[in-house]
Amino acid sequence: MRSTILARSSTPDAATLERMLYYLKLTREAELRIEQVLYRQGKIVGGVYVGRGQEAIGVGSALQLIEGDVVLPSHRDFSSFLIRGFSLADIFANWMGRADTPTRGRENTLHIGDMKRGVIPIISPLGGTSPVACGVGMVLKRRGHGNVALVHLGEGTTSLGQVHEAMNMAGVMKLPVVFICNNNGYAYSTPVEKQFAVRNLAVRGPAYGMPGKTIDGNDVLVVYGAVGEAVARARQGKGPSFLECMTFRMTGHSAHDAAEYVPARLLREWAEKDPIQRLEKYLLTENILTRQQINDLERRIQAEIDAAIADAEARALPKGETALEGVYCGPDCWWGKAGVRSQKSEV
Amino acid sequence: MPTNVIMPQMGESVAEGTITKWLRKVGEPVGRDEPLFEISTDKVDAEIPSPAAGILSQILVKENETVAVNTVVGVIDGEGAAVAAPATEAEEEVPSPPAVPAAAPPPTSAASASVVTAAGGPSAPTATLEVRSSPLVRRIAQDNQVDLTQVQGTGLGGRISKKDILAYVEQRRSAAAGRATAAPAPSVQPPSATPAAVQPAPAPGTFAGPTQVVPMTPMRRQIAEHMVASKRTSAHVYTVFEVEMTKVVEARERQRGEFERRNGFKLTYTPFFVRAAVEAIRETPVINSSVDGANLVYKRDVNVGIAVALETGLIVPVIKRADEKNFLGIARAVQDLAERARTKRLSVEDVQGGTFTITNPGSFGGLFGLPIINQPQVAILGVGAIEKRPVVRDDAIAIRSMAYLSLSYDHRVVDGAVAEKFLGRIKQMLENWDEPVL
Amino acid sequence: MPVLTYLEAIRQGIWEEMERDPSVFLLGEDIGAYGGAFKVTAGMLEKFGEERVIDTPISEAAIVGAAVGAALMGMRPVAEMQFMDFIACGFDQIVNMAAKMHYRWGPAVPMVVRGPSGAGVHGGPFHSQSNEMWFVHTPGLKVVMPATAYDAKGLIKAAIRDDNPVIFYEHKFLYRRIKEEVPEEDYVIPIGKAAVRREGNDMAVITYGAMVWTALEAAQELEKDGLSLEVVDLRTLLPYDEEAVLASVRKCNKVILLHEDTRTGDMAGELAALIAEKAFEDLDGPILRITAPDTPVPFSPPLEEYFLPNTRKVIEAARKLAEF
Repeated sequence: MRSTILARSSTPDAATLERMLYYLKLTREAELRIEQVLYRQGKIVGGVYVGRGQEAIGVGSALQLIEGDVVLPSHRDFSSFLIRGFSLADIFANWMGRADTPTRGRENTLHIGDMKRGVIPIISPLGGTSPVACGVGMVLKRRGHGNVALVHLGEGTTSLGQVHEAMNMAGVMKLPVVFICNNNGYAYSTPVEKQFAVRNLAVRGPAYGMPGKTIDGNDVLVVYGAVGEAVARARQGKGPSFLECMTFRMTGHSAHDAAEYVPARLLREWAEKDPIQRLEKYLLTENILTRQQINDLERRIQAEIDAAIADAEARALPKGETALEGVYCGPDCWWGKAGVRSQKSEV
Repeated sequence: MPTNVIMPQMGESVAEGTITKWLRKVGEPVGRDEPLFEISTDKVDAEIPSPAAGILSQILVKENETVAVNTVVGVIDGEGAAVAAPATEAEEEVPSPPAVPAAAPPPTSAASASVVTAAGGPSAPTATLEVRSSPLVRRIAQDNQVDLTQVQGTGLGGRISKKDILAYVEQRRSAAAGRATAAPAPSVQPPSATPAAVQPAPAPGTFAGPTQVVPMTPMRRQIAEHMVASKRTSAHVYTVFEVEMTKVVEARERQRGEFERRNGFKLTYTPFFVRAAVEAIRETPVINSSVDGANLVYKRDVNVGIAVALETGLIVPVIKRADEKNFLGIARAVQDLAERARTKRLSVEDVQGGTFTITNPGSFGGLFGLPIINQPQVAILGVGAIEKRPVVRDDAIAIRSMAYLSLSYDHRVVDGAVAEKFLGRIKQMLENWDEPVL
Repeated sequence: MPVLTYLEAIRQGIWEEMERDPSVFLLGEDIGAYGGAFKVTAGMLEKFGEERVIDTPISEAAIVGAAVGAALMGMRPVAEMQFMDFIACGFDQIVNMAAKMHYRWGPAVPMVVRGPSGAGVHGGPFHSQSNEMWFVHTPGLKVVMPATAYDAKGLIKAAIRDDNPVIFYEHKFLYRRIKEEVPEEDYVIPIGKAAVRREGNDMAVITYGAMVWTALEAAQELEKDGLSLEVVDLRTLLPYDEEAVLASVRKCNKVILLHEDTRTGDMAGELAALIAEKAFEDLDGPILRITAPDTPVPFSPPLEEYFLPNTRKVIEAARKLAEF
């Protein structure tokens, strides 16, 4: 049965607006704890990647998802995981490599997935999720319930051949896939001028037979609206879209990158366009929330984060020998029910 | 419970970091997640937040020092806000102390010759290098007690092939059957006289159950080598004396308060034993010597080593020229060395040059111990626990503070009588303690 | 019982699985209307429709990646690589995406990547490779290479039913050259089990793919010399049948490892190490391997002939080993 929800309204109600602010702030604060506290205390080891300054993209897009949709977030889309139902404690525990986590210590950063929640994670050689999104889209199209796949990628990732193969395939097969390109100005130390010859990536859309649009990625309402449109198109069977969300990477590429190659002027300019400040200002000006309510929200968020970290820290690390388990999926699957095909095939 | 503060790894390939600034001093409080120190690495400079709330009780790595990632740079004594290390975490690397632990072992041959024995007992025949065969053929030969030098090979270059050995075995069997009435079993070939290329025995001590392999720290390896070398070098003999400690206990009890007030540290029993030992050495100087080939080398200075147990092993800092110090001087020296041993601030000189060692098995509750001599010394004194025990005095039972003193000595150069005289003098001094403590 | 070629047996296997399980579907280049470059999928578009037999653009990465996505959604895709040489274009998706996914976060990724490999058809460097070792070296995958028509049907069915990503190598030289009676009903050959094609006592030849036939030819010839060769067909390269390999070595005590892949980093090296480690005392001679040399596959017939192992090379090696 085709879903009757085509898209969420682009002028969201107060409850949705408050949710937006909550997720924006929760993402910002949780990632600060990860990058600037836990990592520096040695409680998180390995690579640390956060999406500071880019939170509006994950929040604005994930809030358009409904049951049965699938999202393939990037490492800058912490909020997508939260909105799809991963607990904060599970995410922190995963960062800390504990045994009781969605990856049981096998993976770090946001390489977390769960088909029941409709989340497929990236692999580090980015670009791989674009073709996977096409496969998801093929199945969703066939099932005919109007569900969509959202795949997130950076502007640097669009240089990979696989991404072009995927966009081409999505275009020619008219798959219900929305390509959300997070153009944050830098791919590690490579600025956009060295990444591609066009000024804006939106031109890639029509090149593959789909609409392409460039939007303000730091305005969560704009993102929400644009993703809503693209998602509606896909749900109606009109095929894929390409959305270029302009934002800026307000951190290093990773926690151990001081990013001296980024001109300080750019950081200053973009700080003025901070997505959280903008939404807050809007909510206060429109009297949707009071300062007091926002302060309360912030306090709740800190408490939530504290509790989640405590929960995560209390979990044990995995035993060495468990590294040998779960290489193959079989009837006695080590992952338990999760390992068995989680969705019965529907034609 | 104290929390270790570690040098974090800021970047996958980063192996070390430099502390550029401590933002708290020792003794100052710090809140959890509050900035505690600043570091500089190849990739970034960063401000590091405290892992726990509490008092910064130790700074182990100073400003401008560079240490490996995961090195413990400081310690926070928390009031319960400290986070216990998560379960099943791998052993944390404890940084090796700056001092060289223990005196260098004497130059004995380090390699332990492993004796390779042929599996299957002395009567098993051995394959020599001259006979060409194969692993299969050798196995068949062994299983059937065949001396391969007796077998004709038809393989390439005269090699004994599977066909050949099987044929030989078969032929031998039928020949033996044919001689049923003659002398019994086919003779077992004597072992070959030439050095054999044999199948190596399984490594001694292989254990089939689950194990966990933990590599030794450099300190542990040194201790291991030193202990074994010492046992190989000296002819260890032991004598044990029981000493009534009443006078010493009383002296200490009476004066410890004043002592502590004047000197700023606690009065322990160790200085008593050191003083007594030093005195006794004066009268039995051979205890303060070492062996050099066929010579006895008497040392003029009495440098007394005090064994200190650390988490990571054992270290023996030395009180230099203890014979020139009075009680207070010795007490001070003991205190200083123990403190520096525990905070890993001993220097190389601090652990070298000892002529006699005192160790304290009693500190862990042992009645007495039989310690291993600290080479190149010739004796070591073990002090047992001081305990109240029932003893016989004037044909009646009395309760007295007693301690066992054990002396391990090298019988190459120290005879029983000398050892007894030495320990006897120590006993006498302790039982009649009259030297002022303050 | 009908006699089918190796290719027809594969087609039948896929067809039966498509009928049996609606979640099975095919994607690849030219597989639909054209029926596939080698016609393996001929007739399937007409029978099953274009939603289940999908003609894709030339995009190996997208083909494999889409298969992963579909598998995560509960389908059982079978992706064709027109020539296994082109699998390199989808390498990241296979070794990084498909192979590691279950290990990383637990979902099943039931998919098959299948295609023709192997030399002997004047195909030149990019239509003749044996690149199976790239994937044997990747934990999380299974790698299968049948050598007979009967096995080809049973193994493609097993591969499609397996809940893991399976790389299914079809030897193009065998496609139409071998045929045998193949049962019309459903049967499955377990992945991970070798087969003894010929029993023998003096020497074991352990091999797979087209070389199984070369070994059998050599064995027949050598019988006249009184040499009894055992021929073991691995059938699965990952996970391979350790027990079968060791059993043959223990029985025959001399072993030749044979395949048409190039030498360095090959399957024979893996087996030689296994045998030396676990069956050292059963060896009555050195472990020999017969392989292609370390070069790309050349085109011109005399070059390719020099490159490939053949019956004569196997016979020579076997005779020398017999004398040792």
